[in-house]
Amino acid sequence: MKTWKKVMLGSVTLLASMALVACGKSSSSTDTSSSKEVTGTVKLWVDTTQVPYYKTIVKNFNKEYPKVKVAVTQSPNGSANAKTDVGKDPAKAADVFEVPNDQLGSMADQGYINPLSPASTKTVKANNVSVAAKAVEWNNKLYAYPFAEQAQTLYYNKSKLSAEDVKTWDGITAKGVIATDFTNAYNYYPVFLSAGTNLYGTDGETLKGTNVANAKGVAAMTWLAQQKANKNVMQTSNALNQLKSGAAAATLDGPWNSANIKKILGKNFAVAPYPTVNINGKQVQLKAFLGIEAFAVNSHTSTKNQKAAATLAEYITNKKSQLIVYKNSGQIPVDKDAQASDTITSDPVAKAVMTMSKSSDHSIIMPKMAQMATFWNLSAPLINGAYTGSIKSSQYMDKLQTFQDAISKEN
Amino acid sequence: MKSYHAQRRLSLVFRYCLLALLAILWIIPIVWIILASFSYNDTGFVSTFWPKQFTLQNYIGIFTSDQFPFLYWIRNTLLVSLVTMVLSTFVTICVAYTLSRLRFAFRKKFLQIALVLGMFPGFMSMIALYYILKNFNMLNLGGLTLVYVGGAGLGFYIAKGFFDTIPVAIDEAAVMDGATKWQVFIHIGLPMSRPIIVYTALTAFIGPWIDFIFSGIILSSSGNAKTYTIAYGLYNMLHSTKGASTTYFTEFIAGCVVIAIPITILFIIMQKFYVSGITAGADKG
Amino acid sequence: MFKKHNKVQPPATYREVWSKGDVSFKLSFLLMGFVQLRHKQWAKGIALLGIQIAFWVWFIFSGASALSMLSNLGEIKSKKVVFDQTQGVYLTKLPDNSVLILLFGVLAVILLLAMLGLYIAHLRSMRTLYVQLRDGEHVPTNHENLHALIDERLHSTLLAVPIVLIVAFTILPTVYMISMAFTNYDGKHPIGFSWTGFKAFGNVLTGDLAGTFFPVLGWTLVWAVCATATTFFFGVLLAMLIESKGITHKGFWRTIFVIVYAVPQFVSLLMMAQFLDLQGPLNNILMSIHLISSPINFIGASASPLVARITVIVVNMWIGIPVSMLISTAIIQNLPQDQIEAARIDGANAWQVFRSITFPQILFVMAPSLIQQFIGNINNFNVIYLLTAGYPMNNNYNGAGDTDLLVTWLYNLVFGQTQRYNASAVLGILIFILSAVFSLIAYRRTNAFKEG
Repeated sequence: MKTWKKVMLGSVTLLASMALVACGKSSSSTDTSSSKEVTGTVKLWVDTTQVPYYKTIVKNFNKEYPKVKVAVTQSPNGSANAKTDVGKDPAKAADVFEVPNDQLGSMADQGYINPLSPASTKTVKANNVSVAAKAVEWNNKLYAYPFAEQAQTLYYNKSKLSAEDVKTWDGITAKGVIATDFTNAYNYYPVFLSAGTNLYGTDGETLKGTNVANAKGVAAMTWLAQQKANKNVMQTSNALNQLKSGAAAATLDGPWNSANIKKILGKNFAVAPYPTVNINGKQVQLKAFLGIEAFAVNSHTSTKNQKAAATLAEYITNKKSQLIVYKNSGQIPVDKDAQASDTITSDPVAKAVMTMSKSSDHSIIMPKMAQMATFWNLSAPLINGAYTGSIKSSQYMDKLQTFQDAISKEN
Repeated sequence: MKSYHAQRRLSLVFRYCLLALLAILWIIPIVWIILASFSYNDTGFVSTFWPKQFTLQNYIGIFTSDQFPFLYWIRNTLLVSLVTMVLSTFVTICVAYTLSRLRFAFRKKFLQIALVLGMFPGFMSMIALYYILKNFNMLNLGGLTLVYVGGAGLGFYIAKGFFDTIPVAIDEAAVMDGATKWQVFIHIGLPMSRPIIVYTALTAFIGPWIDFIFSGIILSSSGNAKTYTIAYGLYNMLHSTKGASTTYFTEFIAGCVVIAIPITILFIIMQKFYVSGITAGADKG
Repeated sequence: MFKKHNKVQPPATYREVWSKGDVSFKLSFLLMGFVQLRHKQWAKGIALLGIQIAFWVWFIFSGASALSMLSNLGEIKSKKVVFDQTQGVYLTKLPDNSVLILLFGVLAVILLLAMLGLYIAHLRSMRTLYVQLRDGEHVPTNHENLHALIDERLHSTLLAVPIVLIVAFTILPTVYMISMAFTNYDGKHPIGFSWTGFKAFGNVLTGDLAGTFFPVLGWTLVWAVCATATTFFFGVLLAMLIESKGITHKGFWRTIFVIVYAVPQFVSLLMMAQFLDLQGPLNNILMSIHLISSPINFIGASASPLVARITVIVVNMWIGIPVSMLISTAIIQNLPQDQIEAARIDGANAWQVFRSITFPQILFVMAPSLIQQFIGNINNFNVIYLLTAGYPMNNNYNGAGDTDLLVTWLYNLVFGQTQRYNASAVLGILIFILSAVFSLIAYRRTNAFKEG
């Protein structure tokens, strides 16, 4: 019954907010004269839990584009697996599907998705924050319509840690336990970036631009190894459970879990950007990967539906739609106006995520290289090996070199 | 004499204790799964044996959920498994009977080829199966049923072992009396093989309830949760969205318990057929 | 294996059938069915003619092109992005779809071979007919032909549907998979790929996957031996315990153990993974009764490889022992008692009886099913995938973990990050060779194969 109620409540608030938005400003960028002419049939893939509110968004879309028939369906294994789901049979995949930005490079190379038209490129660049546009750019073309940004932040229990404590990693672990997962490269590869190394160059697109096999990389490995000895750093696959039981006071997690954590911590819920860490005697900002969620258009879509698909993708990532998505799932919008709106600025989670994503000392955009597949396969065992001590400090340099060579290969 | 009795008694007590201990060890995780399905939990992880808070919400949730149409899944799976059961049993029994009771030129070859084919890991065939079904526009429950039935032709070993144990003299006598082989099959072969038919049918029936891989490959592209079968539906519940494994975890367990109950009962009924099938087949070896 | 039969000299050569047979025979060399129709075997003639016409129609309209495209798997190998001025959107001109070309090419080859087989069978039956006519023997009528299908040719009737299913759902996919191993079908060539010979084999055996392949192969074998041996041995012991004198309610005890096996594995194993977690119930229980002071990482991503491997074998015992207990029970109940009695009278104790009489007998009866279990364990996807997902991580491996078997690694290569379809096909072939070698040795030894 609980989910039911939530959905009901959600859609009521949503209807109200929609009415407000609609009154405020009516369709800014699209010229209504040509909208009637767009026709076609489009299949849209979203995650299972997102289906209800995307149905609402599509209803709004159909008010403007009545001649486009849209089927909102759930993707087989969720947007995180868009590359494999589309790759299984691109012809059967949806015309418009949700995809995280790091998969765009290989999907573009493989020919699964189409670039944005010059007009759409202009709109996307004009309306959204610059990192969002940059995150979906590959070989000087945009390949998807961004609608949300994801960066992990620090969630903590206010009764155990103060806002001052959470500014540094050492401050946190001096007073409480941080529950976290060192087997996840998404969490801890950024330590190498904090230590001053690059992943695929400064732009994230240079094949030979990774420079991790050096003293800086070794310093990062050393920091990881030190955490094993720290009693207040808890390795766990279920940090939420530890927060609830009180065994832990803080964790690193993404906005997709913020609603769950809020429920668990209740009035003690608090969120902050990542702390600083002490690597090699220097206090540096702990970085995070910045992921941009976007919608891409399938290149297998028949020519007569391409325009309709592109139009739909653009519409469901506009400001109004981004705000609906935020309302229902807490995904942080990337539209400039949306980010400046009161609802967003008054949300501590959104604020923390925006702080993380705004500047390059807090986060880097996930690279889009096809080699990222190899990167994910190899980086997690490396980090875990440093943390558990199965890689000895004398082997750090060798292991880093092997890793760097493997992810810098042409394929 | 007394000490002998005492020793016997001691040995029996010891064996009972050992058996009880083993039984407890075996059943504890199952008890825990059932307990967990009644626990209130919002972290996606059950860390204690005894739930801190009991609730029926998980069961109510799974039956009334809008995004996860549990009742549709049950209906679909029931449909697929019933059709699979009838067709698979037919195919398996035909093959097993033919290979066991009839003699013809390609019999040995057939047995060898079947043995070889059985050794290729089934996963790789999935990609091909997907495209074959897609070509016939059958990426649906019908196609899934066909895949399950398609595998039945090679699953004849246990049934063949059973037929091997029936004396050939009975067939010969009937043929002497002028019966055709078809009549022998229908009037003698089938009635005598009731236990193995029950066994084959039950195995085929259970298959669709526990397969989450083939069903995932074939049904997922429809994008409509109402067309899923139970195993893939439940599996998808946890893996569809970031954070979903936290939100829906206990409902997932409740769903699992609901379907595990009938399968367990069926299996307990089936066990004696299972044993007679296996040992009959093994005796020949 | 191959039975020698003294071939009776064919009473007529094909040359003779061709030169001395009437026109319908000559025509039938080209187009099957005429001779049967001529001699009023209507059903057979119409069936042959019909199949043949269908085949040629298919061959002309699609089969020939499917076969010819098989040689290079499609002309266009790379995509091209173009801008469509009228719609104002970019379009992608896609490469030829090699997946479909290969699949339908393989299908065409199979159909061609099937047709060839039918033609040869037809030649034989034509010759028989010729001899029957020449020697004035009885020529089967249409009715007799049909009747044979439910009598002396009943096997063809009963096997027809199963064979079609086996060809479509097992043989075709298997041949397709084997041919995939000789292409460069991977993440870089997902749509248009080409033949590359043994290159993918090279990658697995000596290239970038070799450092993972051999250790994983080693563990797969260790696992298969341990998993099969432990479940068998302890299953027999458990069966003997339940069957031993004085224990009552045997059915009840057996059922308790069988329940574990009956619960679907994707439920019991997924839950078991949580049960064994670093912060899971088992560690909590053990710590609260002070058996251990700090939690044991049984199967986590950062567990010790040895602990994790022992744990999966133990969990497999939890699932596997009930089955082998059931089977052993049936065997024990049917064991001849006289030998055991004789040994008892001679003063053998329980252990000696077990070691030299009961156990060897059980082993003898169960040998074939043990071989099947061994092959099954080499391919035991569920236990590893659902319980550990291949963890703990190993920084020397590429895309696999310490408990990954070849078959779960194969799955990762297809559905994981890297999409190396050709390498996974190579693994499939190697797994096949492995299973084939083991079962051949074992079947030879147990003689089960000859029994057929």
